Amino acid sequence: MARRAGASRLLILNRTMSIAIQNITKRFGLHPALRDVSLDIHDGELIALLGPSGSGKTTLLRFIAGLEFADARDGRISFQGRDVTDLSAYQRKAGFVFQHYALFNHMNVYENIAFSFRVLPRSKRPPESAIRERVTELLRAVQLEGYEKRLPTQLSGGQRQRVAFARALANRPEVLLLDEPFGALDAKVRKDLRRWLREFHDLTRLTTIFVTHDQDEAFEVADRVVLIDQGTIQQSGTPSEVRNNPANSFVADFLGLTENDAPAARTECQLKTR
Amino acid sequence: MPGATSIHINNRQPLRATGDSLAVRALLIGATLVFFLLFLFFPLVVVFEGAFSKGGAAFLETFRDPYTRHSILLTLVIAAISVPLNTVFGIAAAWCVTRYKFRGLSFLITLIDLPLWVSPVIAGLLYVLVFGAQGWFGPWLREHEIRIIFAVPGMVLATIFVTFPFVARGLIPLMQAQGMKEEEAALTLGANGWQILWRITLPKIKWGLLYGIILCNARAMGEFGAVSVVSGHIRGKTNTMPLHIEILYNEYQFASAFAVASVLGLLAIITLILKTRAEWRAEQELRASSFSTAP
Repeated sequence: MARRAGASRLLILNRTMSIAIQNITKRFGLHPALRDVSLDIHDGELIALLGPSGSGKTTLLRFIAGLEFADARDGRISFQGRDVTDLSAYQRKAGFVFQHYALFNHMNVYENIAFSFRVLPRSKRPPESAIRERVTELLRAVQLEGYEKRLPTQLSGGQRQRVAFARALANRPEVLLLDEPFGALDAKVRKDLRRWLREFHDLTRLTTIFVTHDQDEAFEVADRVVLIDQGTIQQSGTPSEVRNNPANSFVADFLGLTENDAPAARTECQLKTR
Repeated sequence: MPGATSIHINNRQPLRATGDSLAVRALLIGATLVFFLLFLFFPLVVVFEGAFSKGGAAFLETFRDPYTRHSILLTLVIAAISVPLNTVFGIAAAWCVTRYKFRGLSFLITLIDLPLWVSPVIAGLLYVLVFGAQGWFGPWLREHEIRIIFAVPGMVLATIFVTFPFVARGLIPLMQAQGMKEEEAALTLGANGWQILWRITLPKIKWGLLYGIILCNARAMGEFGAVSVVSGHIRGKTNTMPLHIEILYNEYQFASAFAVASVLGLLAIITLILKTRAEWRAEQELRASSFSTAP
């Protein structure tokens, strides 16, 4: 309890810094996934980690959640000024939405969302009435009222995605992490969910980080875009900053800004390969 | 005319996936059926026919014999000890192999299969060499008056060795295919290792697990070679059903031998039905998980 009080005092001092990542390096075998990455994320920000596949953006997200650990001991990460480097995923309790939802197929929607309460020790577990209230509130927020008894396999992709959102948010995480949240959905549902995420974020101001390889998605939804390639951060800034002042040739290339006729050249290329 | 031919070919296409001619297919199917009837089905019929060759009364009389009863009881006891233990070992091994990456992983997978490659008789001999009177632990065991060889503990050990791979082998491919995204999700939701095992992993693999348990049980009850070496064949003490059948047969009590054998045969049929059902459900389990993870 004493630690908690200390942490909340820090929280007041450091209020604007939600997540601080310092000097993270991670290798998978010989392949370096992250090279000395540092990133500060402010309270209430909505951030997109944008980059090509294999750039290390998902590894960074999983590192924040505690699903991956850094190689070198000098890499640190803190939430709200509280060092969480050595805490495992189940102690950090970051809300995480997986690319393919990872819903529990043998549990209905209600139990999926209530899961983070079910695993609490008895002394900390809220009463069933409070859990019911929270689940109902979340189902309303994701527009799935009345779906409590459905199994995940009886839902469409978009509905499953929204259940995954609700489940990640249930126990009020300090941060919400989304891995390619719209990647597996068709275009129409994608657009709706993007708008929904933006509105939801404006309402709650919950610090949110999402990974995407789709620049339209990143620029349309995020407050700040962090471009990653080859395990390093290439540029970080608001959508207009990045668009108007690409920091290097990778950013310019990736956004298709190298030359004025770059988009046309790309189309030509695509036509040729067909 | 060309149109008619193409329709004709189209109609036959599903049958001709491999391009084999009708004669080849008939030959293969026929050979399989003949083999099945000759080597699997008729022997089973013979067992049941032999069991009732002296009538129903004689059949029942076999099971009033205290030695027969004891052999059935001992078989059940050995299975009741070794199957739960191997279920726990099997889950632990499959968890280890599919959840962690470490040096020597492929060696461990090979080691899990070892009992399938080694002749059961050799497995039994290994235990005699380790725990027997002249074995490594022989003097120590004698000093402490612990009997393992030619006693029930040795038979349990031999059965555990022989039936070890079944649960693990049933689970490893299933758990590999299912992946661990749900487990990771549970982790980020604050579940600890035990909660993940009980609430997420076991429900995910329950039919695959049942499949492994059924096979493990069938083998545990039917095991002959390894158990025979360590048993000592003491009637009413260290005789299981398969060993008892051999003794009855060697004493020319054919009807009784077949009667006990028919119980094992019946067990095999029940196992087959349960196994088929569990297999089917395990497939559904796998499909459900790939359905939810596929884009």
